[in-house]
Amino acid sequence: MLDFWSNIWGSVYPYPTVPLRFDRKKIIPLMMLSTIISGIIFLIIEALWLNQKQGLQLSVFGVLSLWTVVYTIIRKRRNIAKSITYLIVVASLTSIYLDYATEWNGWSLTYAIPVMCIFAIIAMYIAVKLVHLNVGDYVMYLLLALLIGLLPTLFLVMNWVSNPIPAKLSIGFSVFLAIIVVLYHGNAIREEWHKRMQI
Amino acid sequence: MERQKWVRLDNASNIFLAASTNSDTKVFRLSAEMAHAVDPGCLQKALDKVYDRYLLYHSVLRRGVFWYYLEMSELRPIVEEENVTPCTALYHFDRKELLFRVLYRKKRIHLEVFHVLSDGTGALWFFEDVLKEYIFLRYPEEFSEMPQSEQDRMEQQLEDSFSRYFRQQGPQSFTEAARSAYRSVVKTSKRAGRVAIHFGKKTSRYVRPSLKPMRKKKRVYRIKGEKTPDQRPRVVELSLPLQQVLPLARQQNVSLMIYLTALFFEAIRKTSPDFRPNDTIVVSVPVNLRQFYTSSSARNFFSTTYLEYTYGQTEDTIEAICENLNSQLKNSLSKEKLGQRLNKLIASEYNPFGRVVLRPIKDVILKGINRLNNRHLTVAISNLGKVSFPERMRDHIQQLFFLSSVARPQFCMISYQDCLTVTFTSPFVDTAIQQAFVRLLSAQGVTVTAAVNQVTDREIEEGRR
Repeated sequence: MLDFWSNIWGSVYPYPTVPLRFDRKKIIPLMMLSTIISGIIFLIIEALWLNQKQGLQLSVFGVLSLWTVVYTIIRKRRNIAKSITYLIVVASLTSIYLDYATEWNGWSLTYAIPVMCIFAIIAMYIAVKLVHLNVGDYVMYLLLALLIGLLPTLFLVMNWVSNPIPAKLSIGFSVFLAIIVVLYHGNAIREEWHKRMQI
Repeated sequence: MERQKWVRLDNASNIFLAASTNSDTKVFRLSAEMAHAVDPGCLQKALDKVYDRYLLYHSVLRRGVFWYYLEMSELRPIVEEENVTPCTALYHFDRKELLFRVLYRKKRIHLEVFHVLSDGTGALWFFEDVLKEYIFLRYPEEFSEMPQSEQDRMEQQLEDSFSRYFRQQGPQSFTEAARSAYRSVVKTSKRAGRVAIHFGKKTSRYVRPSLKPMRKKKRVYRIKGEKTPDQRPRVVELSLPLQQVLPLARQQNVSLMIYLTALFFEAIRKTSPDFRPNDTIVVSVPVNLRQFYTSSSARNFFSTTYLEYTYGQTEDTIEAICENLNSQLKNSLSKEKLGQRLNKLIASEYNPFGRVVLRPIKDVILKGINRLNNRHLTVAISNLGKVSFPERMRDHIQQLFFLSSVARPQFCMISYQDCLTVTFTSPFVDTAIQQAFVRLLSAQGVTVTAAVNQVTDREIEEGRR
């Protein structure tokens, strides 16, 4: 390829040698391979331990959620608060589907979502302190996560839960933290709201 | 003192965000080859000094629900040794980072700018000031030993681009510096009592009307090929002596840009096996509106015109292509046509529909429009013209370069002293078109010097040896 150019080469080579970041020819087979392997692993787990006859359904679902989480983490990797918010949504939807697919008994709404919300909010608070994120950069996502934490109110009202304690804990925790966040960061919230919602 | 530290991003710049992809990052690069190896310490000091004057460059880009906005940041730029591929992405939607970078390697200084921030001309003002400041700091003895008369003359020549362009308006605030150039041209015209531009009546039409009737009849040729493995651009940098190329353009009675575009068309035709005898080649050419309208804005202030040539209509000689392209360009630069285009750009700024649509939806619409436009485009070119520096500085700057990230093969040209630099960038590994372009020039007796970057594993391995 470069033979032609070497004849009229300038005296100094001006470009640094930068290794390839990735090779698109190699990436696609690699993704296919990991999809097939994880699909097979899911099938084995299903056959050995779950003792349920879901066929390919769980395995396809497992692979889909694998790639959804990978995509979410990669796409939102630069803002940890945003990444956690998106992961709560993905994980909640995943657990609801899993509950539905394994003969619905409501464990996702009773336990999984409320518990995930509580710990995701704690995780977010620890994470933003650890990486020294500016208030303006995370406060809206923290509020959004707190709003998601209030979602179990709906589960309680509609009587979808078999044990009300996790939902109540999630609601109480979210309300408590929301009050603190609004009291401490009210100005930052107003400013961010004004900037982001400008028409 | 103004408290607001952010400005809504103008519609015209929104298209760069919608159109940017992993391979076409909408980043362009200006480079200077100095006489000696670059001193990073001096470069940092020079950058710090110039950066303080250019508030626009303090911007970071953020996302709102309805708009993107430029926000003034407290970040400071740090010069870095070049260890990335040219025009690597500068904007990541969830990272707060400056929209430009200054790099150096051996004798070269690079300024890379995200197109949302500024266009080539705006960026060149900043780059010129960094270079002048750098030379001052790097060779202080040269300037202190000059006789008084020469010092005075030098001072006059050295008036920096910043004060040359922004003097009338006094010191700018961040919001003034970051405001859309299209809006400021309306403001200036109004103040001067000569509102020559109508806006707000028509809603903007983004799809090029001039090409609409053509689509059904003509087949616009699009270059295909194997893309580079990690989406880095293939760069082919050509250095040509101006005194050899300029007479060739004069011989055809056209500008250098038109002449080289005609050669580019011929190179494409000769090297593309699937090129049909009646295919049309379409090139997009940005026009700097500062030449025609008063604007001191360093923001994007250009309009794009499209030139085309359909093969098989007459005898397809370089002369015929030159003549055809030249008359199209002249026509598109007429007062009336330019006014129409500017009106459209301004109308898009004031379009009420655009204000209430959610940003993600606007992004999708603009992406669609951009994709439609791209279907009727073969290549692109960009010309920054001739750049000059004060006499004493010329010894320290040997050559200037200009290149851009691309979605399709493109060349960018810039000239300085007796050297014209034509830098091709392409998303494809193959360089057959560029080779044919060089052959066409060599056949006319032009001495071409080239440099090509490494894009495949094999080339990188060879480069290491």
